[in-house]
Amino acid sequence: MSNTSFAPEPKKKSTIKTLREKANTRFRDTAYPWLIPLSILLIAIFLYPIFEIIRISFTDMNLVEQDFSYTFNSYIQLFSLPGFWPMLGTTGFFVFFSVAFQLLCGFVIALLIVRGEGLKLRGTVIVRTSVLVAWAIPGVVIGVIFTMLYDETSAGILNHFLSQMGIGPVTFLSDPTLALLSVTLANIWRGTAFSMILMYAGLQTVSKQLVEAAKIDGAGAFQRLRNVILPTITPIILVNLIIISIDTFNTFDMVMALTQGGPGSSTEVIALSIYNTIFQEFNLGVGAATSIILLLINISMTMIYLKVLGKKGDPS
Amino acid sequence: MRKEKWLKVALYASYIFIVLVFLFPLFWTLSISLKTQQEIFEVPPSLIPTSFAFENYLQVLETTPILTYLWNSFRLVGSTVIVTLLIAVPAAFALSRYQMKHKSKFLVIILMTQMISAVVITIPLYRLYADLDMLNNFALIVLVYVAVVLPFSTWFLKNYFDTLPVDLDEAAIIDGCTKRQVLTKILLPVAKPGIISVLILVAVQSWSQFVIPFILIDDAALYPVSVGVINLQETEAAITTHYLAAGSILSIVPVIILFLLLQRYIVGALTTGAVKG
Repeated sequence: MSNTSFAPEPKKKSTIKTLREKANTRFRDTAYPWLIPLSILLIAIFLYPIFEIIRISFTDMNLVEQDFSYTFNSYIQLFSLPGFWPMLGTTGFFVFFSVAFQLLCGFVIALLIVRGEGLKLRGTVIVRTSVLVAWAIPGVVIGVIFTMLYDETSAGILNHFLSQMGIGPVTFLSDPTLALLSVTLANIWRGTAFSMILMYAGLQTVSKQLVEAAKIDGAGAFQRLRNVILPTITPIILVNLIIISIDTFNTFDMVMALTQGGPGSSTEVIALSIYNTIFQEFNLGVGAATSIILLLINISMTMIYLKVLGKKGDPS
Repeated sequence: MRKEKWLKVALYASYIFIVLVFLFPLFWTLSISLKTQQEIFEVPPSLIPTSFAFENYLQVLETTPILTYLWNSFRLVGSTVIVTLLIAVPAAFALSRYQMKHKSKFLVIILMTQMISAVVITIPLYRLYADLDMLNNFALIVLVYVAVVLPFSTWFLKNYFDTLPVDLDEAAIIDGCTKRQVLTKILLPVAKPGIISVLILVAVQSWSQFVIPFILIDDAALYPVSVGVINLQETEAAITTHYLAAGSILSIVPVIILFLLLQRYIVGALTTGAVKG
């Protein structure tokens, strides 16, 4: 950054020119050879499976038999399944509340840490690290840990605390509605770390002079937040929003360990539903059709992401 | 000044609350892992175990494959990090230093693959690998791990190379270096912080990877911890809560140690990644 201030422009141009001349000469001297391994891997592991899953979704394949024929039946079956719309509802609830609270908690914690750093408080590193640890624990382990916290007997720790406040015992995981809430809460715990660190990074870009100037002009803490801090980090908040939404749509490891989608199918989110349809019911066609729904969600979120990134500035 | 003092008190209060919320679940798991079977069912539950039954850990180490799971995780994560860097560094270098037609389109396509769910791609791969009789094949599984982290790694490193002045390359080329030597001799040493960041991010993400091993491995002896813990849970008839807790603690200890050692780099890695990526 610092060395771009004086005369880098003409130098840069001359380099580009020499590179161009080379590029015209031989394939060996172009960017392409360097990109071959990357391209091969992405084609094999992304492009091929996507075409394949689209193809499978238009068949009646199952995991056990070899024979199949091409048909629209998987989609018709999927949309007429009594569990399909509730499953989307469960997913919507899970994603919406996970994302909303991960954003909110991440933002508040980041703000508190940055404020503390500004006052040179000791211990901000401890706070940061404690939150971040959750990010590095595999989802199934988080599921197991929360199963223990959510123990419904009087020996369960959360129920013990609640009973001291005169509440409970709460059936965290065996009541369908509560189970979805409990799963979402565990997921908020898990995902706040990542959201916090993005917000933290965003807050570093807020100009200190601007905040000071606003303070001198008599802006209160809330006004500074609304009129100075939030506008600066809106792009990062949007990027954060989309990344964690996609992540939440695609996740099922923690749910698997916590409730296996139950009781009934009250916590069966879309990614888990795909897995169950294919590997428990062996119905590859319907599972693939459900994957297409997930793929469409992924693609539409990516489109929004690119729009946001485009607005933020040059994406490369 | 009085106001500032109260602000500090309020901040500290919030810090204590945050740390409690995030560390209590781990503390409780640790506590259960050191209790005896009777203590687990005690009402009211005690926060700190009275017995400190370290033999639970011995029991878990002896009767469950947790060490195998950990070893499998290390192998998978280690190989993934190496292969990812071998592919992403040259690609990022080319994308940063060469002129190329449709470069921005190429970058957007790479970014788009990043957004696609691992569940969606793993199902066709499962069929393919099963047909080829290649399920459980270590190298093929590593390739999928690599593919999943590759888009992000390439972007991150490309952005990092972009921040290094082109003058460096130029001077080296005048001195008679080839492009490859520019990368290996000049840029790599300077790019070390960026490479360490990618290494950490890839390692953490691969350590937690679930869908890929869960679907592409059907031999429980090859599971990494991120899947293996489910197996511990399923055999709960034999393994009761205190053993499950001990198993969970064992499976997160390596990451926690890594975190405490590298916490400064990790925050650095995440923040630079966030601002630039």
